[in-house]
Amino acid sequence: MLHRRIPAISRRFAVGTLTLLALLGLWYILTTLTGAVGPGRFPSPAQFGAAFTQIAIQGYGGAPLLVQALHSLKLVVMGFAVAVAIGVPLGLAMGWSTRFEAFANPIFLVLRPIPPLAWIPLAIVWLGLGDTAKILVIFFAAFVPAVINTWTGVRNIDPTLVAAARVHGASSRHLFTDVVLPGAMPMIFTGLRLSLQASWTTLVAAELVGAFFGLGRVLNLAYQDIYPAMIAVAMMAVGILGAATTRLLAELETRMTPWRQP
Amino acid sequence: MSRIVFENVTKTFNRAGNRAGGDFVAIGGVSIDIAEKQFVAVIGPSGCGKTTLLRMAAGLEAPSSGRVTVAGRPVAGPGPDRAVVFQQFALFPWKTVRENIAFGLKCRGESAAARERAVQRYLTLMGLEGTADSYPHQLSGGMQQRVAIARSYAIDPAVLLMDEPFGALDAQTRTMMQEELVRLARTSPRTVLFITHSVDEAVYLADRVVVMGRNPGRVVAVVDIDAVRQREGWAARSIDDVMELPSFTHLRSGLWRMLREQLGGRSE
Amino acid sequence: MAAALTGGRKAAPSELALWSLAGAVVFLGSWQLVTASGLVSPRQLPGPLAVLGAAWTMTLQPYAGSTLQTHLFYSLQRYGFGFGLAVLVGVPLGLVMGRFRLVDDIVAPVFESLRFVAPLAWVPFAALWFGTGIGGPVMVIFTGALPPCVINAYRGAKLVEPRLIEAAQTLGASEFRIIREVLLPGALPSIVAGLRVSAGLGWQSLIGAELIVAAAGIGYAMTQAQLTIAPSIVIACMLAIGVIGYLIDIALRGAERAVRRRWGQA
Repeated sequence: MLHRRIPAISRRFAVGTLTLLALLGLWYILTTLTGAVGPGRFPSPAQFGAAFTQIAIQGYGGAPLLVQALHSLKLVVMGFAVAVAIGVPLGLAMGWSTRFEAFANPIFLVLRPIPPLAWIPLAIVWLGLGDTAKILVIFFAAFVPAVINTWTGVRNIDPTLVAAARVHGASSRHLFTDVVLPGAMPMIFTGLRLSLQASWTTLVAAELVGAFFGLGRVLNLAYQDIYPAMIAVAMMAVGILGAATTRLLAELETRMTPWRQP
Repeated sequence: MSRIVFENVTKTFNRAGNRAGGDFVAIGGVSIDIAEKQFVAVIGPSGCGKTTLLRMAAGLEAPSSGRVTVAGRPVAGPGPDRAVVFQQFALFPWKTVRENIAFGLKCRGESAAARERAVQRYLTLMGLEGTADSYPHQLSGGMQQRVAIARSYAIDPAVLLMDEPFGALDAQTRTMMQEELVRLARTSPRTVLFITHSVDEAVYLADRVVVMGRNPGRVVAVVDIDAVRQREGWAARSIDDVMELPSFTHLRSGLWRMLREQLGGRSE
Repeated sequence: MAAALTGGRKAAPSELALWSLAGAVVFLGSWQLVTASGLVSPRQLPGPLAVLGAAWTMTLQPYAGSTLQTHLFYSLQRYGFGFGLAVLVGVPLGLVMGRFRLVDDIVAPVFESLRFVAPLAWVPFAALWFGTGIGGPVMVIFTGALPPCVINAYRGAKLVEPRLIEAAQTLGASEFRIIREVLLPGALPSIVAGLRVSAGLGWQSLIGAELIVAAAGIGYAMTQAQLTIAPSIVIACMLAIGVIGYLIDIALRGAERAVRRRWGQA
């Protein structure tokens, strides 16, 4: 292929910005200028701005945007952290020992196919509509991908590397810390990424079904109030938080796996 | 109709964040004229830019300055008039041998009957009978390369560009393939640009051998083989006999000496 | 391979089977014990037998409007539409993005910004636009199932050996042919892996959508059971959802294996 001279990064940035601007323009035209999409279906930029100002300053559903967002964020982080703290070691153990894997398999066989969202009704029956129920559901959502990807990461390690380590006299402990753990790191982080995604999805769903605070609750209220602009604001907030946490995770991954090619 | 001309071609790669500063000049001013139906081999140390030259003729890369023309027209992109045989075969793993060989014909819009005829012809020609329905991973390296050559030949290209096509094969298979290529070149000759690391291979196969140096990549010498080949009648002998002829060894050692001088050059 | 890791004796399949049996016994046994001992009231956590009983009853008598099978049928119908749409839109899009930098540059920012919005967050809009009809859940499933289709098709296309694309170009292939006969088969292992993930995410999104905005379907049945505090039915539905999800995954795993075998990467 004959290459163009424009550096790739700035071209991508330029095209991306242009596209987003074009979409914003389209949004404005469709809603405000022509009224093709009515206010009952999708908010205009002006309505969006008004809703945003309202929730940011006065609050909506009992608290301002920042409080609602932080509430959701707190729950996600807690559920995610517990799931990872239990799930990754469990996955490592399952990858390391076939016996342990065989033992834990039946439980996983039952738990794994159950979609995390399906835990919501049960969590509500057990713990009501409060925060604990949400954290429990997030835990179940984040737990399975963390375990499975960690386990896969261990299993996928090149046997030649293991052989090379053993030939050099590595003990099981050294094998674990110096070969298995770093080797499985990329897949572990894939699992963490999936866990994080699942955590957000589940939280939003759980809060949609019933909650006292949080972005999902804002979404629910806005739906009941038939307030599309607020729905859009809440969705955007969810998106931003999700992107930010994912970005943080990616940064962590880069630091912990410096040998990876981007 | 198929003359390849490199007119003072250069190729520079930008190296971002290079401590030594500046760009890397891969090729600095190369001019080669390959006449129609001539078989030209290019040898040189790693990094001399010979593969880049081939890719420029193929239209897979563009020169930074200078021009590459084929049949008088500047090269603007890849096309079936300049078929490429890659070192790693580049066979489509999900297509059978038959489908691989017929691919170029399918692109051209040939009928199924015409494609099948061509496939059968090249299967026989390359000694691949019975493999039509096999997948590449089921064949040995030598057979895969034969399929790759068959695939290129099937579209009857005016120019054949071969990038160390036998480099990935074991010694015995390589010798067989060299003999086969000579036979093919005799029965259906076309312009060939052939990159290789092996001096023996270059002398045995080519009409002319271009020796390249590196830092920057440039032409060091062009040696005419064909005159000697005609005079000594190499075509009538087997490859083993040819390689023992004094005329062959003389050419070979001369080229080797030139190559060694280039290899001895300091790397950056 | 795991034997090389632990360095110990490799466990025979029969021994592993025993370990699995032990795990199952421990799991079910402790579950039954916890409920039978009265530590937890059966209103909160019914035992495994009670759950099985509830499931069986649901296949015979309608609950919340339909029998278990009928609920599942409604759900699967929506799922099929949503997932099918995601594949038909997502895979070609991913391939084209992988082939043409310009398309990638245009679509990627939009895709990335929308992607992080949890599919469930679309439910209020879906409900506003489609009511409780089939459109709402289909839209939510589509949103959930789309990203892996696009991403895996994109990655698969990028991973296709550039030499293969170059070979096709030097043989005179048009762009359309390159995408159809080089990128698509080359990316197929990645695409099928993506389909597996997509199928799972789509199934999850379906449940989520049905929890909130449906008048029939397995998620709806679960919500009704939650509202009437009938945990045995809730768990029975969860297990049914799990079984269906598992069967879908098995089917796709088989497809993945078939593709690998054909491509010679078994």
